[in-house]
Amino acid sequence: MSRNLVYLLLAFVVTGVASSQEPGRKVPSVTLAPVGRVAIKAGSTANVELDFRIGSEFHINSNKPHSELLIPTAMKLNAAEPVNVASLKYPAGQDMSFPFAPDEKLSVYSGDFTITAVIKAPPKAANGTYPVTGELRFQACDRSACYPPRLIPVKFEVTVVGR
Amino acid sequence: MFIAILAMLATGKYLDRTHRHGAPVLVGDVRGITAPNFELATLDGQRVKLSDYRGKAVLLNFWATWCGPCKVEMPWFVDLQKKYGNDGLVILGIAMDDSETPKIAQFASEMGVNYPVLLGTDKVSEAYGNVELLPTSFYIDREGKIVGKGEGLLGRNEIEQNVQKALASPVAGMNKAQASPTQAKGVKVPAIAQ
Repeated sequence: MSRNLVYLLLAFVVTGVASSQEPGRKVPSVTLAPVGRVAIKAGSTANVELDFRIGSEFHINSNKPHSELLIPTAMKLNAAEPVNVASLKYPAGQDMSFPFAPDEKLSVYSGDFTITAVIKAPPKAANGTYPVTGELRFQACDRSACYPPRLIPVKFEVTVVGR
Repeated sequence: MFIAILAMLATGKYLDRTHRHGAPVLVGDVRGITAPNFELATLDGQRVKLSDYRGKAVLLNFWATWCGPCKVEMPWFVDLQKKYGNDGLVILGIAMDDSETPKIAQFASEMGVNYPVLLGTDKVSEAYGNVELLPTSFYIDREGKIVGKGEGLLGRNEIEQNVQKALASPVAGMNKAQASPTQAKGVKVPAIAQ
């Protein structure tokens, strides 16, 4: 199944469930594309690209919005020992103006964006598959309204190989 | 697979419409429905009930400090409060922030807000139809009936027309000059700067 089809189905389900709260209301969605197999050698690191897609017509704040009042997009991940999350790399936001603040540039993500998780396996890590779980927090707006912060789960597995 | 998803969605809609039976659900056209009463804290810790303002026209505005479109409306509300305050308009801002109260207060002060700001709760959001989209405003007449609702950023003219609609209906058995029963009864409500 293609990644686009998976995105479409996920967005469809999210939109449908949320629309049960208010008929006809469009709600923001952010979906995570399936994460492929992640293999890592003991004593090394792996960059895991987490690809997200924001529903059309919506934008979310970047990880570094220009105002402290705005809620940044942020991810929290926990890896099962012995692997660990060494760092997270967020993309730069795109500076955009919107009709509700034409003179202001907001740092936002829209469409697709990728957060890279740097996963580290210590030299003595035993071969095996380890879960990495967490959540992405984001706060979305469209051209005339905003929505409360939401969390979506993030989950993938890392396989330590080749010891 | 599509059929399965459609079935799930249909089931979800059915369950959502029925599990709240008995409680007023403010979805769709809410005009004519009595605005649900609530009691919320103001920024300075007073408790305020919507029913304290019976006899007044109320503009109930759900907003948040992180909501850009909400910031656009606020200066309009300040002007409308000045313009129509003597006619019986009360604007109540319900802050749906998780932020600490002093931050909300500072924001409101910087925006020159001259009307009470209340600290929103999930309960009041639910009572008003699970308000998620911000800004959302309800226009309530002097008898406590909702006469209009606005979701998202509206134009100032549309907001003012809704305010005038809310002000237009006199309280039953009372003329316009008498339509301030809360003050007549000596109920303490937060002062509104004119």
